[in-house]
Amino acid sequence: MRNLLLLTAAIAFSSAANAQTYFVDDATVVAPNGTQSKTDIIVVDGVIKGRGARLSAPNGAITVSGGWVTPGLFASMSSLGMTDIGSSGPGNDVSSENSPTNVSEHAADSFNPRSVHVGNIRQSGITHAVIAPRSSGDSIFAGTGAVISLTGKFDSVLDPEAFVMVDMGETGTIRAGGSRAASMSQFRAAIEDAEGFFKRYAERSDGGDVLSRQDARAFSRAVRGDIPLLIRVNRAADIMRLIDLKAENRGLDMIIVGGAEAWEVADELSAANIRVIFDPLKNLPTSFESVGSRLDNVAFLESAGVDYAISNLTSLGVTKPANLAQHAGAAVVEGLRWDQAFKAISSVPASWFGVDETSVVVWDGDPLEVTSAPIAMSINGEDQSMTSRQKALRDRYNPTTQDNRAHKYR
Amino acid sequence: MKYLIPFLLASTAIIACEPQNSDNSSNTDKAEDSPAFASTYKPQASSDVLLKNATLIDGVSKEERKGSLLIIDGRIGFVGSGEIPEGVTELDLEGRYVTPGIIDIHSHLGNYPSPSVQAHGDGNEVTSPITSEVSAEHGVWPQDPGFDEALQGGITTLHILPGSANLFGGRGVTLRNVPSRTVQGMKFPDAPYTLKMACGENPKRVYGNKGGPGSRMGNVAGYRKNWIKAAAYKAKRDKGGDFDRDLQLETLADVLDGKILIQMHCYRADEMVQILDIAKEFDYKVTTFHHAVEAYKIGDYLAESDTCAAMWADWGAFKMESFDYINENIPFVHAAGACAMIHSDDQNNIQRLNQEVAKTWADGNRAGLNITKAEAWQWLSTNPAKALGILDETGTLEAGKRADLVIWDGDPFSTYGRPDTVMLDGAVLFDRATGLKPKSDFRLGYADLTEGAE
Repeated sequence: MRNLLLLTAAIAFSSAANAQTYFVDDATVVAPNGTQSKTDIIVVDGVIKGRGARLSAPNGAITVSGGWVTPGLFASMSSLGMTDIGSSGPGNDVSSENSPTNVSEHAADSFNPRSVHVGNIRQSGITHAVIAPRSSGDSIFAGTGAVISLTGKFDSVLDPEAFVMVDMGETGTIRAGGSRAASMSQFRAAIEDAEGFFKRYAERSDGGDVLSRQDARAFSRAVRGDIPLLIRVNRAADIMRLIDLKAENRGLDMIIVGGAEAWEVADELSAANIRVIFDPLKNLPTSFESVGSRLDNVAFLESAGVDYAISNLTSLGVTKPANLAQHAGAAVVEGLRWDQAFKAISSVPASWFGVDETSVVVWDGDPLEVTSAPIAMSINGEDQSMTSRQKALRDRYNPTTQDNRAHKYR
Repeated sequence: MKYLIPFLLASTAIIACEPQNSDNSSNTDKAEDSPAFASTYKPQASSDVLLKNATLIDGVSKEERKGSLLIIDGRIGFVGSGEIPEGVTELDLEGRYVTPGIIDIHSHLGNYPSPSVQAHGDGNEVTSPITSEVSAEHGVWPQDPGFDEALQGGITTLHILPGSANLFGGRGVTLRNVPSRTVQGMKFPDAPYTLKMACGENPKRVYGNKGGPGSRMGNVAGYRKNWIKAAAYKAKRDKGGDFDRDLQLETLADVLDGKILIQMHCYRADEMVQILDIAKEFDYKVTTFHHAVEAYKIGDYLAESDTCAAMWADWGAFKMESFDYINENIPFVHAAGACAMIHSDDQNNIQRLNQEVAKTWADGNRAGLNITKAEAWQWLSTNPAKALGILDETGTLEAGKRADLVIWDGDPFSTYGRPDTVMLDGAVLFDRATGLKPKSDFRLGYADLTEGAE
């Protein structure tokens, strides 16, 4: 471990732009289905160029022992590229307090691939992410979310209309005017507005009950089941109401986000074919809608056959995806198999959201270990920079290096 | 492991009704030092035990070592090897890690408890930028279920602070992490009070439209004006005789007397150095900067002024003053020779501060440092104990100290390592194998929903 750490330090100071070849000796290779195998790997510019037993290191290659090679991680909930800092202001597009619209607002329009957080978070092995807005004002509908890759390039929005984000539970209650009855009423009315779009908005001019014309049009795809509805909800009783709603509207494709009490209704979720994005670290009754929070939520979901993805929903702001692997590791501690936990932060959500890009991450250890970090990575065969604003600050103030520039800060 | 705890619990029942000797000595005779709300903490009953064949991280040495640890009368008898009294139960840990109990110097458990309903928001007296007359202990709800989960994560002592809305936020309180009906029953005996102060964005945002401060300039003016008042109050108090007691100035005068330790919320490097200059101007000491997201830029200043920094492993960008966060903040401050430590400020992260340290430790070594796990453990217990003025009682595994410790089921620097057993004063408060874990009143009635001992 020690030699490896010193080695990677040396790598960090070399320019990322240079061609870099790694020989990963006896690598643990993880397939998209989470299974592990051992082989030697040669990685050139983040791309696997050779694999097999007893390869020898190419000239000039950096040898990595104890390394792992995996697909990139998928953050199934984030606000990446939608905000520079968490405080409100023109740099924060996560919610729109004073706008008259909701579903028709696209997170993709807010997305800035040049945000420093895209580069910062990529350093944690995250190659793809969902970006979602938050609800505001008097609507339970937050807007339309997108799927992105973390290349930092202007073509990195893979799907600008990937899902519609809805806030139910206590947040939805506040939005709808004060009760769950009100938020369910708004939800049902919006479905009817979208289903009856042509009658309500085109043929007659009296409009819908709760959605404006552009929002009802934007909501139609989700109501038809062409794209999923991501619904923030935690209380088991609230989840049951959504299961009922789905029974009444069979076309809806629901993904629950949060699901603190999902374990209580795991069988029902499984039968209704509703998927869950949850956080294995959520164990506190932080509100009355989550009094049943428990660390082994995941064990119930797994044994009931619920389709689930793991996300960081508990810590702060835009940097949440950085700790995705740590949160998956917590599920392993609660009895999930390693491959199941890894899939829940990679191939499972990637397939939900239709991501077919390939990605490779070379790690200096087990990716679910808090002490591990990526050494090299690629997305769709393209080498990804292992530098970031965070690493530039680190290098400027690194006490193990000399700063001999004219304008030095230390 | 299953055999260890039933034995300890069985003996507990026998000793439970006997008075404990070590913690009844708080200064009840000196009204000035302990005027009100005195600690009533009493260690729970413990057994005399030899933990042998342990891997010891003691919070002092730079290397871990194999050896034994003796617990006698709730205190540490020896660490490593020593004379074993007759009749002591010997328990073979088969190489498992034993570490000091973790100390979180920045928590709002109890004053922002779960459930976080509005009625529970007792951590910030947002009525004036100067509220040094209030105390966090008067806003702590001892039934916060977060205490129990923090214990499961190895937290044996924690420091509860008022929030950061105010320039002078009020007194903080250091608590033992034990189930209790009252906050007095949790108060760390004889731990000094602290004073929460705040820099930067929060005070000027909260009071910008309420009479100020409305800028960092106003913040600094606010500190200085009140230190001037405090110095005058202290002079009057020192003279003796009749004078009107003022709770607000009393706290500040106690800081000038060195009896209360300053714990100051501050993010930016330049701002922390401004604060150190104010401390020089008025001759007081800043014990710890909290959050200190840019501490890595001024490690030399911190080392020179003997000021600690309590930091996150990787939190940042949630506001402008945290934009320059780096994952190597703690190891870089440590490498500068300053007193660095982890803190949570969060009911979730407090449950796995060992993992937070593991992350930043690994990143520091990746950047070229060469810090051992045993040395990095200082960030979890030794340095927080120092910054809270309780290092002579806890924070390390050394003979004579309280037996506050954690027995781990694996490597505490791993995602997969968890506490098996957590002891305070040698008493087992949490034990995974037997399911022993405190359960707050709030958790009752949901028996079919949540686990844990009744």
